Amino acid sequence: MFPEYLIKKLVHMPVTYPISGLIFDVLQRKESKAFKQWVHFLLKTYRDAYHGKRPVIWINAFTPSELVYGLGGIPALPEIISALVAYMGISGRFISNANTYLSTDTCSFYRCVLGLVIEDYLPRPDLIISSSHLCDGANKFFRYLAQFLGCPHLFIDPPYWSDERGKRYLISQIKEVIKRASSIIDIPFSKERMGKAIKLSIEARAYIGKINKLRQAVPAPFSARDGLSYFTGMNIHSLGSKEGLLFHKTLYEEIKQKVENKEGYLPRERCRLLWLHHIRPYYKNEIFDIFDRKGAAVPFDEMSYLYWGDLDPDRSIESLAEKILSNIWAGPLERRTDAILKMVKDYDIDGVIHFSHWGCRQSCGGAGVIGDLLKDRDIPYIVLPGDGGDPQNYSPGQTRTRLEAFLEMLI
Amino acid sequence: MPRNYVKPVVGWTCTYLPLEILEAGEIQPLRIIPSPSSEKADAYLDPNYCPYIKSVLGEALQKRYSSISGIVLINTCDGMRRLYDALRFYSPPSFCYLLDVPRVEGPIATSYFKERLKEFKEDVGSHFQIEIDSSKIRKAIQEANITRGLLRKASSFMSKANLLKLMAQGWETPRNSFNRKLEEIVKNQEKNHPPRNGPRVLLSGSLIEGSYIAELVEELEGEVIFADLCIGDRIGDAIPLDCEDPLDALSRAYLSKPPCARMWNLEKRIDYIRALIKREGAQGLIYQQMKFCDPYLYEAPALKAELDNMAIPFLPLELEYSGKAGGRTRTRVQAFLEMLDVP
Repeated sequence: MFPEYLIKKLVHMPVTYPISGLIFDVLQRKESKAFKQWVHFLLKTYRDAYHGKRPVIWINAFTPSELVYGLGGIPALPEIISALVAYMGISGRFISNANTYLSTDTCSFYRCVLGLVIEDYLPRPDLIISSSHLCDGANKFFRYLAQFLGCPHLFIDPPYWSDERGKRYLISQIKEVIKRASSIIDIPFSKERMGKAIKLSIEARAYIGKINKLRQAVPAPFSARDGLSYFTGMNIHSLGSKEGLLFHKTLYEEIKQKVENKEGYLPRERCRLLWLHHIRPYYKNEIFDIFDRKGAAVPFDEMSYLYWGDLDPDRSIESLAEKILSNIWAGPLERRTDAILKMVKDYDIDGVIHFSHWGCRQSCGGAGVIGDLLKDRDIPYIVLPGDGGDPQNYSPGQTRTRLEAFLEMLI
Repeated sequence: MPRNYVKPVVGWTCTYLPLEILEAGEIQPLRIIPSPSSEKADAYLDPNYCPYIKSVLGEALQKRYSSISGIVLINTCDGMRRLYDALRFYSPPSFCYLLDVPRVEGPIATSYFKERLKEFKEDVGSHFQIEIDSSKIRKAIQEANITRGLLRKASSFMSKANLLKLMAQGWETPRNSFNRKLEEIVKNQEKNHPPRNGPRVLLSGSLIEGSYIAELVEELEGEVIFADLCIGDRIGDAIPLDCEDPLDALSRAYLSKPPCARMWNLEKRIDYIRALIKREGAQGLIYQQMKFCDPYLYEAPALKAELDNMAIPFLPLELEYSGKAGGRTRTRVQAFLEMLDVP
């Protein structure tokens, strides 16, 4: 509809974002308040990023956003942008461009990011901070991006073991990252600013805990379809900001209202499923429509799991280290399996779906053990192979057959 | 899987494990290089998984490691971490250990790694009821340094295909015996391949089964002038014993050795390869990537960009863990060598 150069120009203009916000408010009047707050949070973040008001710091998922807010920067998460691009139905083109650089066996979210970078669609980072505790992709890809963009990169190498030795190692690294980042972005480190970010995160965390508790209700008030989009998106992007706190408070109030009214998101709930993996397919697909049609509620997803404890504003750095170390997807698989078994119990789960995202070794590598542990407890389990970002890897027929067979067994 | 060792045998998978600690405890380290046998593990690991990892798990499930006393893994990559989980769940060895090795260098990482090595030494000692003291580690480092020196010399006159085969023997031979064998080879200095005038290529990338790519290059009249592989020339220098605690020496040396792509510092890997190309006069680089090996898959574009700048042709090969080159690989290598051979 619009010429390419014009679209790119609009993307780079700060004024595009508040205008988009106004249009969104008019067109999406029926959306929930929390959903709108999420959209406005993203628009404000990217308006500020393109405006150059504060330094833009790219981080990968699970590098605590509190760190960036505490440093005085604007956090941008390329993986979330990939998901949004997939949702808009335009990821294929960017992934296709990146395929000439990266193997098609690598994560499609990273390939989409690379495609966006090649075409200069993303706000240029002043600094990249990434951590390696989740996957090898995060370790190598962000280094490559930094080299590609010619921008500084700081790296956090969380230890495998989360004992005292590991914690000391991680704390030393975070201190070093803060020192060097402050120098790179030229904003002196302020203990008060970091403490404030941690305080906002603590308050938001309390709401996340309450939301997750409410999600145990029958009928399910909130779908994992949304859990795996704006809820977890905000959990990794907004913690440490005022907007993040406001969003989590609003979402809590909305879900609370639904639970009080015994209002489920499905007209009739016939079974309850747990979705495993950090993501779901974001491009147009019918996976959650199949669940909805069959009356299979998905009240929870493992990405929503609140794995970290209360942070402490007086021990900001130690708290950030503890948050990283408590990640259930890092370290030995028992951390993840213990959490999954707890989710199965807490959310009264009848069946578990492990979405195996092509290119994700760290999560899919545990799918066999998780399945056997669940089967030992007579909990039906299915591995659903697919791709969260690349619609080319989506097979509607196979997916439907597989899911319907699984649901027939349950219902 | 060889048998008849006098000492207890511990299997290992990654060269970031300081074998010297095991050897100081009179334990025979045995590198696990399984035969291609991933089918058995297909039901336990995803289809998009490193075939080496699958083959290790496949052999473990078939009880091929029942004669060894333990397995030590490193947090090399996502695959190794999940292998550690799967082994413990499906086929737990009596001693299954994961040593945490940082992905970075520098004083913070070195100090942390030293602490982990100390813990490893104590855990090995406690499990096998042995005492591993500093003097024994020091002696083991000296012995390993002899191996490193002899391998360097052997590498200077041996064909790389033969060097890889020789090293594969070394992974399962007691250190002293292997050093004696190497001394013999170096003493005789038998140039076991005829001089070649064909294209000179650098072989780099992830671990694959055997030496078939090097053999293929040599069969096609090319020459592999350096095998930058963890089963090849990426041996590292002799470890200096200039500090009081040998664990300091091990920690420093293992983190700063010629890097595998698992390490974070992409520039160091690229600088290292650039220097190798210049030093060895390589005309092209063959990059062997094990299917689904993320550290090497993500490194490839940066390396290719650098080689493009240097006008050094780059041949990426995504390989299965099959132990043999298929027709397509053969054709591609042949075409690559022919291209390099054009004056």
